[in-house]
Amino acid sequence: MEELLRMSGITKRFGNGILANDQVNLSLHTGEIHAIAGENGAGKSTLMKILYGAELPTEGEIFWHGKRVLIPSPKAATALGIGMVYQHFMLINELPVYQNVYLGMEAGRFALLDKKAMRAGTAALAQKYNMPVDPDALCGTLPVGVAQKVEILKVLARGAELIILDEPTAVLTPQETEQLFVQLKRMRDDGRTIVIITHKLREIKELCDRVTILRGGKNAGVFAVADVSEQEISERMVGGSVNLKVEKRPARAGETALTVEHLCVAGRGGKKAVNDVSFCAKRGEILCLAGVEGNGQQQVADCLTGLRKHYDGVVRVLGHDIAGMCIHQVRGLGLTHIPEDRMTVGTNQAASIYENLISLSYDQGDRAGWMDRKGLRRKAQADLETFLVKGTPDMPISMLSGGNMQKVVAARELGCHPTVVVANQPTRGVDVGAIEFLHRKLIALRDSGCCILLISADLSEVFALADRILVFHDGRIVARIRDVEHTSEQQLGRYMLGIEQMEVTGDEA
Amino acid sequence: MRLKTQMPIVLHPSPGRALSGVRNVALKLAASMAIAAAVLTAACLLMGYGVRDTLTTFFLSPFSSGYTFSEIAREMVPLIFTGAAVSLMVRCGQFNMFVEGGFFAGAFAAGVLAPLLPAGTPLIPLICIAAAAVIAGLIGYIPAKMKAALGINEFVSSLMLNYIVFWLCMYLLHEVCGDPDYVNATRYLEESMRLPFLNEDLGLSSNILIALFAALLTGLFLFRTTWGYRIRMTGDNEKFAAFSGINTTHSIVASQVIGAVLAGVGGAVFLLGNYYRFSWTSLPNYGFDGFVIGIIAGNNPFYVPLAAAFLGYLRVGALQTSRMGALPNEVIYVIQALVIILFGARLIRQQISKSRKKEGR
Repeated sequence: MEELLRMSGITKRFGNGILANDQVNLSLHTGEIHAIAGENGAGKSTLMKILYGAELPTEGEIFWHGKRVLIPSPKAATALGIGMVYQHFMLINELPVYQNVYLGMEAGRFALLDKKAMRAGTAALAQKYNMPVDPDALCGTLPVGVAQKVEILKVLARGAELIILDEPTAVLTPQETEQLFVQLKRMRDDGRTIVIITHKLREIKELCDRVTILRGGKNAGVFAVADVSEQEISERMVGGSVNLKVEKRPARAGETALTVEHLCVAGRGGKKAVNDVSFCAKRGEILCLAGVEGNGQQQVADCLTGLRKHYDGVVRVLGHDIAGMCIHQVRGLGLTHIPEDRMTVGTNQAASIYENLISLSYDQGDRAGWMDRKGLRRKAQADLETFLVKGTPDMPISMLSGGNMQKVVAARELGCHPTVVVANQPTRGVDVGAIEFLHRKLIALRDSGCCILLISADLSEVFALADRILVFHDGRIVARIRDVEHTSEQQLGRYMLGIEQMEVTGDEA
Repeated sequence: MRLKTQMPIVLHPSPGRALSGVRNVALKLAASMAIAAAVLTAACLLMGYGVRDTLTTFFLSPFSSGYTFSEIAREMVPLIFTGAAVSLMVRCGQFNMFVEGGFFAGAFAAGVLAPLLPAGTPLIPLICIAAAAVIAGLIGYIPAKMKAALGINEFVSSLMLNYIVFWLCMYLLHEVCGDPDYVNATRYLEESMRLPFLNEDLGLSSNILIALFAALLTGLFLFRTTWGYRIRMTGDNEKFAAFSGINTTHSIVASQVIGAVLAGVGGAVFLLGNYYRFSWTSLPNYGFDGFVIGIIAGNNPFYVPLAAAFLGYLRVGALQTSRMGALPNEVIYVIQALVIILFGARLIRQQISKSRKKEGR
């Protein structure tokens, strides 16, 4: 089989220190449908954006037909014969289909458009791939499924040999999906190569020839689809060997610290983001809300920490109903929060490390509003040392790497003797050393009687830390795991992907 | 993968830049002087004035006599107050134009109140300044609260408010509390109602000392107090401030009200130090000057006096030049505009790259 494209050793490090791709390799054969599979945040989209020229790799090489190429822009990618269909369509709603298809490469002489030729060209392409599209319809009037066809026609009209589709079925009904698959297979048989980004296992099995799996920005295997089971793919996607095991004694759970009763949060489009969730967490234990991102864990965290004010149900922190409390009051109960988004929520990127460290304690020891600068500085300096942050108090925090930045957040949130900690993806995009350090800190806090609510999509983290696990899928708790040690990653992965559900008895905490 | 790195626009130098800040500022000041020289030279050549004479007058005359030197101080007083007020509000991310109206209302209030107080009342100037502060603060609360409670853009509402305040003052001046023997002016301010001169012959008022003190106090407030910390965190990143438990609404209102108070005090201090009556019949533009000072000083109140001295020096130079019958005074606005571009260049570049990022992809 001839190799059409090879990406080798692709590394992408963003300005904020997040490592999205780490030495990723990808090889595509001519005339295959190739799936890029992985969880959210595995680096699929980044890799495809690099291939399409929308992002530049930090390191690595791309070979096209065996020759090394640079793809600095989408324009360059198009010229090579690479096309991409984004998840969010890029059509001009006010123009008819045929003008969208020929956008930027209009047929015509002088300043006049040759509408006839364009219309005929569009119709011919549509016919060839069995896509029933009216060339004269205005794009704004088309249903989503048809708009997607126009996007594909756009790519085909530019003569793409390689077509990248970013989660094409996310917006389609099952019938439209069926239809799309037929058309994609026809394109493949016509000699074109197709890459689809997906995390739906069924689609991989049904449509694709080969699959490249990414996990945490790294390669997690390449397989011919015929040779692997859905099971195996899912394990590769979410699971993997636990590479760090922090020592941990069994939890000694104390009194109840957090109670959530019948929590419901409205989501997009009338759907419930959180649907009747109840649980409680005790002091001295780490309760993990596991799940693939976007299944309601985030909203639960927002409710608990006072960031979200509109919800149904009751949330109690250390016995106090927090409905109507402001964030300051909730924090006053002894709750701290490591937020998911450390760039815009967890830190003030315009300020120094010192100013970021004191945002919870700036009014401690003040005299009539004058800050106790000496005391605060001393504490900040001590925090930096305890949390092994590589930086000085007066450095701008924006100069730190992602890991060190997260340590600053942790120093602030964990260093003030909290009773309840909500840690949301505390180690995402953080280097291995910092992960281990943060895990140790969380466990030490637990042992000192703190209640820790961990929200994580990372299975190795879940297993390293959790005393109990609640698995979220689609806004509900689908499994409550007490015996973490005797649960396999594979089993947890199946719960997270919604393949299986645990019979949840009502009285279980 | 969510990799949004939306950073708030930073309207003041980040701490990292502060290290090289002194050199940076010195370079920009030197460049500003060069720009001024270039503009003057070009203008002289175009209009047929002697280049050397004009440049000498422009750059050296401010230092030529005690009188011109004290003129710089006089120019500085309103610039320092409005510059400090703007810095405080911009640090909280608020672009409130009421600095202009507050300055005007403060001066008006002091001018009206001082002659009304019974003769022999001790500390008349202080009473007037306090009254100006209260009035400006109360009016300044209006756009602040509108922003905090209803999300109404403070820039637009404060701009409109300026005209309401201005015409209200004009009405009062004309119909109610003006001097009956004068047109559009308040009663004469006796010596006991005014701030003392440091040197009466030179016309050097003690109000420059009050202005310097106000800038110092604003700086300390912003950088050393819990209020100031909350205001700065809110201005840098409102999400972060709220997440940390800071009441951002409170900061937004406080920064604008305190800014208005500073402006009002500035108006009163300026009037009681340098005038014998209140007789302004148009908005004097000092509020807008405050934004110029804010840009030059990087919205740091500690640097505001320096920026004011620099701009004051250029203005006195321009004034002297026009008095000599050489170039018209308006040349200063060309120079001022170029200086703003110079100091604001980084800001402008940030804005452009930000809007580009928004458009692309």
